[in-house]
Amino acid sequence: MQRRKIHMLVLASGFLAGGMMFGSSNAEAGATAEMLANTCAGCHGTNGQSGGPAMPTISGMPAEYMNSIMAAFKSGERPSTIMGRIAKGYDAKETALIAKFFAKQAWKSAESAPQSKNRTLINPKLASTGGKLVKKAKCGKCHEDDGMTQDEDTPRMAGQWVDYLLFKMQDLKNEHLAIPQPKKMAKRINKLSAFELEAIAHFYASKK
Amino acid sequence: MSKLTRRSFVKLAGGAAAVGLAAGGAPAIANSHKHHVIVIGGGYGGAIAAKYIRMADSSIMVTLIEQNQYYYSCPLSNWVVAGFRNLNVQKWGYDGLKGHGVNVVHEKATKIDPVSKTVTIASGKTFKYNRLVVSPGISFRGIEGYDESATHMMPHAWKAGPQTTQLAKQLKAMKNGDPFIMVAPPNPFRCPPGPYERASLVAHYLKKHKPKSKVLILDPKDKFSKFGLFTGGWKKLYGYGTDNSMIEWVPGGEGGKVTRVDAKSMKVYTDLDEFSSSCINVIPAQKANMIAESAGLTDDSGWCPVNLETFESKLHAGVYVIGDASAANGLPKSGYAANSEGKVCAAAVVASLRGKPVPTPSYVNTCYSMISPDYGISVAAVYKFDPAKPEKVHSVSGGLSPSDAPDFIRKQEAMYNESWYQSIMSDTFG
Ligand SMILES: Cc1cc2nc3c(=O)[nH]c(=O)nc-3n(C[C@H](O)[C@H](O)[C@H](O)COP(=O)(O)OP(=O)(O)OC[C@H]3O[C@@H](n4cnc5c(N)ncnc54)[C@H](O)[C@@H]3O)c2cc1C
Ligand code: HEC
Ligand code: HEC
Repeated sequence: MQRRKIHMLVLASGFLAGGMMFGSSNAEAGATAEMLANTCAGCHGTNGQSGGPAMPTISGMPAEYMNSIMAAFKSGERPSTIMGRIAKGYDAKETALIAKFFAKQAWKSAESAPQSKNRTLINPKLASTGGKLVKKAKCGKCHEDDGMTQDEDTPRMAGQWVDYLLFKMQDLKNEHLAIPQPKKMAKRINKLSAFELEAIAHFYASKK
Repeated sequence: MSKLTRRSFVKLAGGAAAVGLAAGGAPAIANSHKHHVIVIGGGYGGAIAAKYIRMADSSIMVTLIEQNQYYYSCPLSNWVVAGFRNLNVQKWGYDGLKGHGVNVVHEKATKIDPVSKTVTIASGKTFKYNRLVVSPGISFRGIEGYDESATHMMPHAWKAGPQTTQLAKQLKAMKNGDPFIMVAPPNPFRCPPGPYERASLVAHYLKKHKPKSKVLILDPKDKFSKFGLFTGGWKKLYGYGTDNSMIEWVPGGEGGKVTRVDAKSMKVYTDLDEFSSSCINVIPAQKANMIAESAGLTDDSGWCPVNLETFESKLHAGVYVIGDASAANGLPKSGYAANSEGKVCAAAVVASLRGKPVPTPSYVNTCYSMISPDYGISVAAVYKFDPAKPEKVHSVSGGLSPSDAPDFIRKQEAMYNESWYQSIMSDTFG
């Protein structure tokens, strides 16, 4: 025990000396949270505030939730078109830094992405129909406060993109994809028609 | 007592400074202490570098020199060529960057002097910089016969804007039965999957509107990016490999290399053959944009050698080259790579102005391509820099879309492609 500690100390100072010898390089320190997280912005937008209707906004996502999702993308437990390939590029320490970075960013609702073109606008009539459906299906048991609340295992849905929410629910329903989800939610979502899913997407998107 | 005195002293001093600023003209005082970074080129690389420098440190003055009032994005412009997207969706302005405090100057940069650290613009005005970021994109190398006037008759459409519209028009006007001829470029060039995405989408258009026509790709290369995915998609959708294929690809090894074009007679020549049509898309060989070359930032390859940890030029200190113009070994010449390089470069520029060590970089690239409007594919990678092997960034993960993906996954990737575009544009211009 004692010996190991001393050994580590020596190693650590060795690294320090190395760093000083190479002068300007900082490679051993590893990339900062910001540097790592900025690589995601090409798809998820600056600071995770997405500009594209099928790409989820991930700013403000609780770090625990992001860590577990990234691990599931990496292992393949959670199917994805592209996130599996991306998530494998970051080790657990880097992923934790990224998750912490996004957790600190303010959520901005999709409606406020001013630059975006080609998105589905919120239809108030559909949204109000969706509100009734959500109440009937008791989605609020887990997605509290009209989808505003998020925690270590439930994502925020209020103010997310209409298009993303709709695609995501279609995916959740798609048995080929077998997306891991609570049984109680699967049961509820499977009963909903395509039109009802659309209305629900408009409902959650309309909440800010 | 002593504490009190000190506090009121600070207050007084603060007050005096505030009065001084108000009376003496704030900008002059502020500027004399500010670092000035100039960015040349407001595209995928330059706009991001300008924005992220300001986001990291708003005390740095950033001036972006961009020759055009509006930027037209090449990514997704192949959809415009094939007639299912409006060029307006490709158009972006610079108000977002101004909102981040970037000074935008809409003029052409005509001269870079890395010794006196100055940039001159077309009107003759000269700016001094502490650091310069150059992201001007590409220029073309010649093909015999492909002069300025030929570019109007045989558009390249490899810089988006009027060229894109021109090619779309010619495709629409083309007679049913004529071939769409594409002259593909040799490596390395902007957007490695780009020509093959264009060929796919033109084939999609022809299938619907001019079923007697086909796409003929004359290529100096024997292989290209996402080869298996493209040819797989072509087999599925366009009869590739059969006698009725809507796409014919002639590789270099089979005489695909075009050596000369004649715009007046609308003909292109290979060593053995000649081909003609009313619609010919010539994508010439490429090199770093002229402004980089004239500043002495390029080497014999025609591209700009850079330190991949910072994107600082290996030829001129204090000048950074990002985007297509740089020889960023390991990274493709793509919009996503330019975005990633812009961020690595921004962090390096800020650190160097503060006298801090070089930040450890992290890079990503993703290129989506379309084989039809409902059929998307992608290649993605995460990269790291290894100081022991500084000549190339190496990928730590990534790869291609699976070759056996079901149709609904292809459709999802097609949707994600458009959303990727909206997101990266909001990152760039928002
Ligand atoms: C058809 C096509 C499809 C593509 N699709 C994709 C895709 O799907 N995904 C992807 O990631 N990439 C794609 N690309 C590649 C992408 O367009 C480029 O890699 C990217 O634009 C490179 O960015 P850049 O900053 O180097 O150059 P650019 O984006 O070209 O920006 C250069 C800017 O500099 C300005 N400039 C040049 N010289 C001067 C000067 N002297 N003074 C002032 N301003 C100047 C220009 O006006 C321009 O605005 C595609 C390219 C093409 C042609
Ligand atoms: C090339 C585009 C791309 C890049 C780069 C990218 N993502 Fe994603 N992301 C997606 C797509 C598309 C999805 C939907 C799942 C899928 O099909 O891959 C997604 C889904 C997610 C989700 C799930 C959101 C939810 O509510 O279920 C998280 C979290 C996420 N990404 C985080 C990240 C992080 C962190 C990074 C950077 C390290 C990153 N992404 C980089 C495209 C991208
Ligand atoms: C038993 C609790 C529970 C109930 C009830 C429930 N959900 Fe969920 N929901 C979850 C959890 C947990 C997740 C996150 C799953 C994951 O991806 O890991 C989730 C995820 C989602 C997502 C994906 C959001 C995103 O950003 O990725 C949508 C959309 C969704 N739920 C809609 C609904 C709807 C609509 C209902 C009602 C019909 C509903 N849920 C009922 C727990 C529940």
